[in-house]
Amino acid sequence: MKAVGASGVAVGLAGCIYGDDSGGGGTTLKIASDSDLKDVQGKLNNWLHNAGLSKDITIEVLAGSSITDQRQQKYTQWLSSNREEPALLMTDSGWSIPFIARGQLLNLSENMSKTAKMVKNEYFEASVNTALDENGNLFAVPLYPDFPTMLYRKDLVKKAGYDPEGENWATKSMTWKRFSKITKEVMNQNSMKYGYTFQFKSYEGLSCCDFNEFISSYGGAYFGPLKNLFGPVGDRPITVDEKPVVDALRMLRTFIYGNNDPHALNGITGGIAPTAVLQWAEDPSLQPFTNGNAVMHRNWPYAINTAGAEDKLGKDLGVMPIPYGVEKSKAKYKGTGGPVAALGGWHVAINPNTPETEAAKEVVRTMTKEDVQFKLFQEIGWLPPRPSSLDSKRAKEVPVMGRYLDQLRIAGKNAIPRPVTVAWPQESSKIAQQANSAVGENGNPQKAMTNLKSQLKDIENSSKKN
Amino acid sequence: MATESETQGSIPRDSGKGGPYRAGVRWVENLGDAAFAYLLLLPVFLLLGVIAFWPLLRTFEMSLHADALRSAEAVGAFVGLQNYTELLTGQRRSNLIRPFIPSVAINGAFPFIHVRNPFTTALTATFIFTIVSVFFETIIGFGQALVLDQDFRGRRWVRVAIIIPWAVPIVIQGMIFFLMFQPNVGFLVGGPGNQTFLQQLGVFSSTPLSTPRDSMLIVIVADIWKTSAFMALLILAGLQSIDRSLYDVAKVSGASKWQQFKMITLPLVFPTVMVAMLFRTIAALRIYGLIETVSTCNTVPSLSCLVVKSFGQRAYGTSAAVAFITAAIIGVFVTVYIVNFARSDMGGV
Repeated sequence: MKAVGASGVAVGLAGCIYGDDSGGGGTTLKIASDSDLKDVQGKLNNWLHNAGLSKDITIEVLAGSSITDQRQQKYTQWLSSNREEPALLMTDSGWSIPFIARGQLLNLSENMSKTAKMVKNEYFEASVNTALDENGNLFAVPLYPDFPTMLYRKDLVKKAGYDPEGENWATKSMTWKRFSKITKEVMNQNSMKYGYTFQFKSYEGLSCCDFNEFISSYGGAYFGPLKNLFGPVGDRPITVDEKPVVDALRMLRTFIYGNNDPHALNGITGGIAPTAVLQWAEDPSLQPFTNGNAVMHRNWPYAINTAGAEDKLGKDLGVMPIPYGVEKSKAKYKGTGGPVAALGGWHVAINPNTPETEAAKEVVRTMTKEDVQFKLFQEIGWLPPRPSSLDSKRAKEVPVMGRYLDQLRIAGKNAIPRPVTVAWPQESSKIAQQANSAVGENGNPQKAMTNLKSQLKDIENSSKKN
Repeated sequence: MATESETQGSIPRDSGKGGPYRAGVRWVENLGDAAFAYLLLLPVFLLLGVIAFWPLLRTFEMSLHADALRSAEAVGAFVGLQNYTELLTGQRRSNLIRPFIPSVAINGAFPFIHVRNPFTTALTATFIFTIVSVFFETIIGFGQALVLDQDFRGRRWVRVAIIIPWAVPIVIQGMIFFLMFQPNVGFLVGGPGNQTFLQQLGVFSSTPLSTPRDSMLIVIVADIWKTSAFMALLILAGLQSIDRSLYDVAKVSGASKWQQFKMITLPLVFPTVMVAMLFRTIAALRIYGLIETVSTCNTVPSLSCLVVKSFGQRAYGTSAAVAFITAAIIGVFVTVYIVNFARSDMGGV
């Protein structure tokens, strides 16, 4: 990889000095992204140039699929065949690590150490952790993070006698016990169809995020201490059958089937969620909330924009961090417990085969400027990747999302990444299947998690070999 | 033959003057009938070789290599038939698995099938889907074809109504069934205290799209809804090719409707039905798109689901092995079909 990098620098410099033939004598770099960025391609170039990018360098956005798996497969094909283009790749924080493990992204700690160091110091730590190799080298720069929050009907909660502002719900997370009690009360008082809507379909979003969040909020984990999130595959404990994980599932059963369920969890108020959550992904679960049929709803920041629009809930929308099962100090594994939020988001990485390495590095460097990040926040709702950016007055002025920055900052600070390794794609579907069936009508949390443990063990062992 | 002699006569016998083109034409003309037929088929064989056999051979070659999850290479070292043995014995657990039938029941009846093995689970799911859907599609398609074969007013409109499902793209069809079973959108499923008739009868649980048994049923119904029309069209073509005078003779001889059906319609349309079933069976063995859109492969894992998911997981060796086995099953099936029914004149198949 060093050899590729060095020759890339040489050719890249030549490109900058002599220009290429892509019109205007400048360098045009392709960046693999989605249609959101393609829509603002012209503006993006202006923002980058205003933030100091050489006018000779232009960005051309390749708008790929918005479905993350398809983008991942496309990159796999490109990088496995050593394609020189695109020079820049936007990678999902959920699958950057397998590319890093296979040596298919440029090592930024080696090639732009100053920027890499700054990113590691200033950005949301959880985001940065999904772009590091085992030795702590950075291979991609977080462009925007994504973390979920709990949306709620502030108007109805106030009507029920609660005081979200006075009790500081925005930054002070509540327990699941209290959450379920309030939800039930507000739901009954207003004859609402649903109390709490979330996603629990058998899909990638369950294993990476919803389920990960529930078990972490009880101090549980897939692979023990958080230091094992990214490996070593085959040499780490599998802890899905432990009490915190089973408790989280029992709580979910109580939410859905009420307190008479044979696996119900004491202290939780039951009967607040529909069985439909078992087949809901993001959009179907958001719909009842924006339609005014649900009290509470868990979703990604885009849902804040949707539900907080004037023609939907407007200022009646309340947002708070995800509730917790146990406090951080009482969690079994360090880093879990408290208001945990699953981490999503995208990074920008450099294709090590590009002959335009220097130009690509300049683009990545410029993308770390706050000005560019704020423009992306305003135009397409991509959250800035620095916690400090969310404190600024400028961020507060952004319509809708600007009202909920405190909550987003708390979520970002408590974000937990999915355990992405080379084995994760295989583990993910098993986790989703078992978690979903554990909460299904005739499910049994302890039994499902014991099965899952043996399945994960098999995958870990076979992935260790190859 | 007159034409041949005329053509031969037009070519100068003092060879060399006609050039290679003429020599070529003469060579072709001198070929026997069988050789000439093979010559005409040569482009088709070449095309088949390029678009079917070569990729199949490459798939087989890839299936003999280990998955290379950790390296930048596409596949790992040569491992011979290891991928196959591990898949069949259940040691390769790297993919989907979600038993949709009680493992006790199936193990009791077929002890060699391990439903906790992703491959045999997928195989069982695929076979159940294929057998049930093709069976009902044939029956319903046959019924529709018999109706369409009658002369009645509004026949055209009925034909359009029957064909419409066939024209709906798979993704749209999948979305239709997906939405029908979404509690806040569809009308076929409701929550506790608000159960629909089908739920009260116990046909569906409250979350059919996350329950493997229910999802399998929904996918089968969706497939029958769509492809019965295809069967109907093929069988209708067979029905309309039957010589109508046979029925007139039968009527004169005093044969009842049932006797006419049994003695004329059924034997004469049988080869067409077989061809239609062959096509549908091949398609059903490859089922993927409908499953993914209705309930996802996590809920109803078929063989093609295994291929696609392993490929997406970068387990190319495993993916190729499952793909090759699927192709082999289809190949064996087609061969058995053709050998068994070739004698009964399957219309050239």
